[in-house]
Amino acid sequence: MPPIVKITNLDKYFGRLHVLKSVSLDVPERQVVCLIGRSGSGKSTLLRCINFLEEPSRGIIEVGGIQVDAEDKSKERRQLVHNVRLTTGMVFQEFNLFPHMTVLENVIEGPVTVKGMERSQAIELARQNLENVGMLFKADEYPLRLSGGQKQRVAIARALTMQPRVMLFDEPTSALDPELIGEVLSVMKKVAYEGMTMIVVTHEMGFAREVADRVVVMSEGKLIEDAAPEELFSHPKDPRTQALIDRYRSEGA
Amino acid sequence: MALTEKHESTSHAEQLYQAQLRRDRIFRANVGVSWAVLFLILIFLFSGQKFELGDFTFKTISLNTSFIVKNLWFIAQGLGQTLLISSLSILFAMTLALFAALGRLSAFPPFYAVSTFYVSLIRGTPLYLQIFFFFLALPQLGIVLSGLVSGVLALGLNYGAYMSETFRAGLSSVGKGQREAAMALGMTPGQTMRRVVLPQALRFAIPPMGNDFISMTKDSALVSATGFVHELMWRAVKVGRAQFNNLEALIIAAIFYWMMTLILTYIQGKIETHLAKGDR
Ligand SMILES: Nc1ncnc2c1ncn2[C@@H]1O[C@H](COP(=O)(O)OP(=O)(O)OP(=O)(O)O)[C@@H](O)[C@H]1O
Ligand SMILES: [Mg+2]
Repeated sequence: MPPIVKITNLDKYFGRLHVLKSVSLDVPERQVVCLIGRSGSGKSTLLRCINFLEEPSRGIIEVGGIQVDAEDKSKERRQLVHNVRLTTGMVFQEFNLFPHMTVLENVIEGPVTVKGMERSQAIELARQNLENVGMLFKADEYPLRLSGGQKQRVAIARALTMQPRVMLFDEPTSALDPELIGEVLSVMKKVAYEGMTMIVVTHEMGFAREVADRVVVMSEGKLIEDAAPEELFSHPKDPRTQALIDRYRSEGA
Repeated sequence: MALTEKHESTSHAEQLYQAQLRRDRIFRANVGVSWAVLFLILIFLFSGQKFELGDFTFKTISLNTSFIVKNLWFIAQGLGQTLLISSLSILFAMTLALFAALGRLSAFPPFYAVSTFYVSLIRGTPLYLQIFFFFLALPQLGIVLSGLVSGVLALGLNYGAYMSETFRAGLSSVGKGQREAAMALGMTPGQTMRRVVLPQALRFAIPPMGNDFISMTKDSALVSATGFVHELMWRAVKVGRAQFNNLEALIIAAIFYWMMTLILTYIQGKIETHLAKGDR
């Protein structure tokens, strides 16, 4: 089976800054990949290139069989990018819920506006997903009234209601108070066990160890190591990976 | 021991809070009384009373009440025109302001240029001149517009330039993360604008827009200078001049403007508290 996400020789420049250096990564369907690395190594940029929140400078991105060349200038490319975005769901560190909509409105917004789904059908789907993340009881609240953990669970439900094939998470628990991290991680675990393909940028080593099929280490815009978690954490090959793990250990993660 | 201490300190805090509330109440009561006194003084000044203090005779201003009674209705009829021209102008101004703000934030040079050019031109010239331009200069080119249309164009163009700044602030108040979340859901730029950015930007811009509308009702008096729009000011000046009772006529108009402002400010306050206690 071909991988559902296939990144080939991806380069990204911010002005003169070379942030991604010929990165290639294949993710088979249903796999959970954790992306780790020091601050500024390019993790977010890589993740955001997958759904074109950042425009890659060079290389090829393929998601769910939709292939987009970074240097393609054709008119059809816009439609391809749109299709890639429909195939991926994204969860942000800062939640980014729409503050002027209730929880339920947040969750049905995508299906109704983007997919043109019948409102009643979208509500049904939204309620299922809210139930799944344990947030149905707040369906009519505005995001302002929710705790960070609750917001993030709603954000996950919002992404899932678009019925994506791949979920991208960019440090989903980094903006949370420590006591709220667990509820979000357990929702993510549930999503993983339901068979979702996930790429997760995270500093939560416990989550990586328990849930990830693979851990990929990034350093200065390159993928330097890629292994199963138990292997990577116990026998890191690259000294930079070792240093990273030591740092997480000393921070008590 | 610790318990009683805690208890005492809460009741102390409660006492301080009550004292603060009392001070606030007393302050508001005093302000109210002072307003009433100032108001009475103002009425007294225009009451036409005569006093004799020793050798001196004092007279307060006396108004021609029969003129007031006769012309009150004529001037009052201008209220409708004033509100009409202000409302149409503010709607026009809002539309212009939105496009000017979008242009100002646009990465497309011609849009940016048109927006900044418009704002600069309008801000660089007096409103009074702009109004005369539409009423007096355009007819020279063979373009004759009705008084109402000219007034709405001039006021709308002028306010649009100033309000574009409010809209721009509103649009910029919507974080980048909001747009990214919308894009990640697959929204087009147009959908992102309509569904995510504009609703939040407008909510931000409503209170300042209320202020603009209130000052518009007063700036609309300037269009009376052209003689073509029969709003409050025009009517006051017309009857005042004709019968040499400018004082009375202008006082009537002033009262109407003031009352209108008070009512609109009250309504605006209600809207603001409503927005504040809502969902944000
Ligand atoms: N929009 C941008 N413009 C310019 N430089 C950027 C931009 N976004 C990121 N960078 C730079 O690109 C590099 C990689 O950033 P990125 O956000 O991908 O790192 P990261 O691994 O996610 O780090 P962190 O753990 O701090 O989130 C950094 O040097 C950053 O300063
Ligand atoms: Mg990052």
